[in-house]
Amino acid sequence: MEVFQALQRLHMIIFSQNVSPCGKFLAAGNNYGQIAIFSLSAALSSEAKEESKKPMVTFQAHDGPVYSMVSTDRHLLSAGDGEVKAWLWAEILKKGCKELWRRQPPYRTSLEVPEINALLLVPKENSLILAGGDCQLHTMDLETGTFTRALWGHTDYIHCLALRERSPEVLSGGEDGAVRLWDLRTAKEVQTIEVYKHEECSRPHNGRWIGCLATDSDWMVCGGGPALTLWHLRSSTPTTIFPMRAPQKHVTFYQDLILSAGQGRCVNQWQLSGELKAQVPGSSPGLLSLSLNQQPAAPECKVLTAAGNSCRVDVFTNLGYRAFSLSF
Amino acid sequence: MSSESSKKRKPKVIRSDGAPAEGKRNRSDTEQEGKYYSEEAEVDRRDPGRDYELYKYTCQELQRLMAEIQDLKSRGGKDAAVEIEDRRIQSCVHFMILKKLNRLAHIRLKKGRDQTHEAKQKVDAYHLQLQNLLYEVMHLQKEITKCLEFKSKHEEIDLVSLEEFYKEAPPDISKAEVTMGDPHQQTLARLDWELEQRKRLAEKYRECLSNKEKILKEIEVKKEYLSSLQPRLNSIMQASLPVQEYLFMPFDQAHKQYETARHLPPPLYVLFVQTTAYGQACAHMKSSQPPRQDKTLSVAIEGSVDEAKALFKPPEDSQDDESDSDAEEEQTTKRRRPTLGVQLDDKRKEMLKRHPLSVMLDLKCKDDSVLHLTFYYLMNLNIMTVKAKVTTATELITPISAGDLLSPDSVLSCLYPGDHGKKTPNPANQYQFDKVGILTLRDYVLDLGHPYLWVQKLGGLHFPKEQPQHTVIADHSLSASHMETTMKLLKTRVQSRLALHKQFASLEHGIVPVTSDCQYLFPAKVVSRLVKWVSIAHEDYTELHFTKDIVEAGLAGDTNLYYMALVERGTESDACSSPSSGKGCHSQDVKYRTLLPLCSPCTHLGGIESCDSSQLSWHLIGQGFLLEPPRCCLWCCHPAPALAAKLQAAVVLNPGYSSIPPVFQLCLNWKGEKTNNNDDNIRAMESEVNVCYKELCGPRPSHQLLTNQLQRLCVLLDVYLETESHDDSVEGPKEFPQEKMCLRLFRGPSRMKPFKYNHPQGFFSHR
Repeated sequence: MEVFQALQRLHMIIFSQNVSPCGKFLAAGNNYGQIAIFSLSAALSSEAKEESKKPMVTFQAHDGPVYSMVSTDRHLLSAGDGEVKAWLWAEILKKGCKELWRRQPPYRTSLEVPEINALLLVPKENSLILAGGDCQLHTMDLETGTFTRALWGHTDYIHCLALRERSPEVLSGGEDGAVRLWDLRTAKEVQTIEVYKHEECSRPHNGRWIGCLATDSDWMVCGGGPALTLWHLRSSTPTTIFPMRAPQKHVTFYQDLILSAGQGRCVNQWQLSGELKAQVPGSSPGLLSLSLNQQPAAPECKVLTAAGNSCRVDVFTNLGYRAFSLSF
Repeated sequence: MSSESSKKRKPKVIRSDGAPAEGKRNRSDTEQEGKYYSEEAEVDRRDPGRDYELYKYTCQELQRLMAEIQDLKSRGGKDAAVEIEDRRIQSCVHFMILKKLNRLAHIRLKKGRDQTHEAKQKVDAYHLQLQNLLYEVMHLQKEITKCLEFKSKHEEIDLVSLEEFYKEAPPDISKAEVTMGDPHQQTLARLDWELEQRKRLAEKYRECLSNKEKILKEIEVKKEYLSSLQPRLNSIMQASLPVQEYLFMPFDQAHKQYETARHLPPPLYVLFVQTTAYGQACAHMKSSQPPRQDKTLSVAIEGSVDEAKALFKPPEDSQDDESDSDAEEEQTTKRRRPTLGVQLDDKRKEMLKRHPLSVMLDLKCKDDSVLHLTFYYLMNLNIMTVKAKVTTATELITPISAGDLLSPDSVLSCLYPGDHGKKTPNPANQYQFDKVGILTLRDYVLDLGHPYLWVQKLGGLHFPKEQPQHTVIADHSLSASHMETTMKLLKTRVQSRLALHKQFASLEHGIVPVTSDCQYLFPAKVVSRLVKWVSIAHEDYTELHFTKDIVEAGLAGDTNLYYMALVERGTESDACSSPSSGKGCHSQDVKYRTLLPLCSPCTHLGGIESCDSSQLSWHLIGQGFLLEPPRCCLWCCHPAPALAAKLQAAVVLNPGYSSIPPVFQLCLNWKGEKTNNNDDNIRAMESEVNVCYKELCGPRPSHQLLTNQLQRLCVLLDVYLETESHDDSVEGPKEFPQEKMCLRLFRGPSRMKPFKYNHPQGFFSHR
């Protein structure tokens, strides 16, 4: 059945990736529900061989695709098909690793189990926010494992979440084209930005959906169907519109740059003023996630990894070029 | 005696001396002897000691007389002269005595010498005698030892042991009382007994010989009888032939085949025996039918037996000689350049020679189509090849795209994974090829047949990969172990090819045949339709811009078959999309349908009853015509529906279909070109048909896979188009109104469309 395996690899999509708390390992989840653990330190070391670019361990984590993963100090949390599962980083490399626990948010049940598209850790209150198919933000207390509150307001499913570091506020972007700002203390919606309604950034042929979101103090950058745009939150006005035609699937602030990726082979680097600083080509035809390994524990593994519509995870040792690819 | 003689003389000399008696007697003696004086005799009588005394005395006397004479002379007196005279006389006498003594001494000496000589001679004689005697002794001793060492011949004779001898020999030979104590007699007796026994055995031998001769004669007689029986039996057999035929018992025919089979080379013989055995075993399993009549497998031998026989006569080594001489010629050919090409050609032909006999194997499938396999044996290469041909019960309409499906060249390719049948399986062949300048067997395969690995295995030939030696012997067990699987594979292969063949015929007419047992996989209404199905070349496939991934993944080998499918869905104005028009054609029955749509902007086609506009134009494009400017049909000048969505699918059909699924690569032409590179949903559609093919297999042996995949593709295109988010800024209704029931339109970060069809409820959901 080599043909089948080759086809499976060919049609693989890596939805999510996450770096371990020690900074030496990278977990990647694909559309078949598998999670692979790569050793970044082995792949980056000088005597790296072809084998060290293969996963150390691959296991079936979910039945459906693994859309999102986050790491706490000890756990890897993965979610996709309506459930969130926790895996111990300490044991994940062992064969036959079982999940530590699994939780399902209280869905108003429908025919289909809604997916979970985004996970967000809120360290201050030691909780996890899950968002996805049922248009709500569920908050789960990591201490007790109970779901404490649900925030609703989105009219379509939620794509992405972002946390404002200073004030306990969460941003969410969804298929309905709105970015909503939630106050966690009052559990209320504070602000709504309907991006598609702004003429500068709306692109009706691509749809309204907001696929990615990142925030830094008063600034927020979001993209998707509408163009990638930098917003000033307090005045809720778009300040910069980045000239990128393809819908973006992931965006993040990095130092004084904005990194974004989406359809197309490249990782785009933007100045805040809207100039395209660089486009670094990767090996996948489309990218879905970027991951910056900034764990202070492993400075030698400080890399940018990008994954998407292929079985490869591209590794950028500096922002200038793709060094090599890890592969399922 | 001598003393006596001296005494006798003494008186003469010494007068003063003496006894006169003595003197007298001496005188008488001398007188007696005086007649014949013999001094020798005198010597005997005289004593040498006395003579010595006499000599001494005479000498003294002489000295004294000399002294006296001298004295007298010195004194010189007168009387002296007398005295001197007197003395002189005396001295003369003395001299006489001395002279006499001297003579005597001489005689004595001579006598002594003679005596010594005589004695010496005597001693010599004695010594000689002694030597003779010694020699004689030695000789005798030798004779004695010779006698002692003499070996008698009887010692070599293996005699019976002593106890046995006394036990068995009759007493008149053994004579126990005599022989017990006397080993010599005993031996003699034993020898006698031996002789006796041998005589008896010789007698027995003679008897046996005569017996044998008698039996030989009897055999001869019986043989004659048997050979006279053969013609009679033959005539009986001849007479029974009509009966056999009448009763469907072709024993004779089978017998004849076995007879021919003896001349088959070993691998073909193994194949023949094993296939016959397998065929019989199969026939026995279905015992309800009359045996032999309904055989799924029949075996026959073809070719000239005489040639095979002629081949057998020269022994195997002639081949080796040839290859040796080949090597020699190789060196000499450099000098004979002009004939080189011709020679090589001949050598190549010789090397690729087939055995004159071949085995024909007919494999009948359930639907009465037959796979004819002809197995050949290449004698000099020691490999087997096969040629295949498929015949069907009913005449097939051959679709253009099905050209290669049943071609003898490719119908059996990759029966086992990777077995292309283009390379020789015998590693030793490469060296042989090098000699005659054959690069690869591939160029000769069409003529010789394909040397698939499974063919070698059926013939019991096993070629180890590592060592290129001739360690190959035809092995029955190897053949038997592969027989059943191979036969089954062959049958499935033919059936799947025939199924494809039929399917292609309708695919070319734009109909995707979906059998009723696969109906549940698809919704009742499928709007997108297959409009084109053509085969394309491997090179063309690799040059397509959206197939790069497959080529890079190594899934596009040149043994695969390549096709291009075009699935199309027109806009709302397409007659087919509105079922209310009544001219639509969504009936899902498998039979061929005549599509009679109306070209909706005009009514040209209404009366002509030919075909769908898009189909027509695509047929024309396929034949090199292009409607320029694009029009809806050949007969009018209305612009063609510009937004018709065309989904191209490049299909790789592995020869191992349907155990190995076909692989689809898609390219959608609708609002720009969309491939898996720029559209996640196209990617998802590919993955739906390629990765999730298992749910499309249908009932075993899943011959419906390809058509189901195509039908699925149509459904996927429907879903894709109907769920496409409508651009609010563009006026007018949606081009493709959503008719499919979907729970949600998009899901997940990559905004997947609901491609999964849930059968009984009929809605679409996400996978």
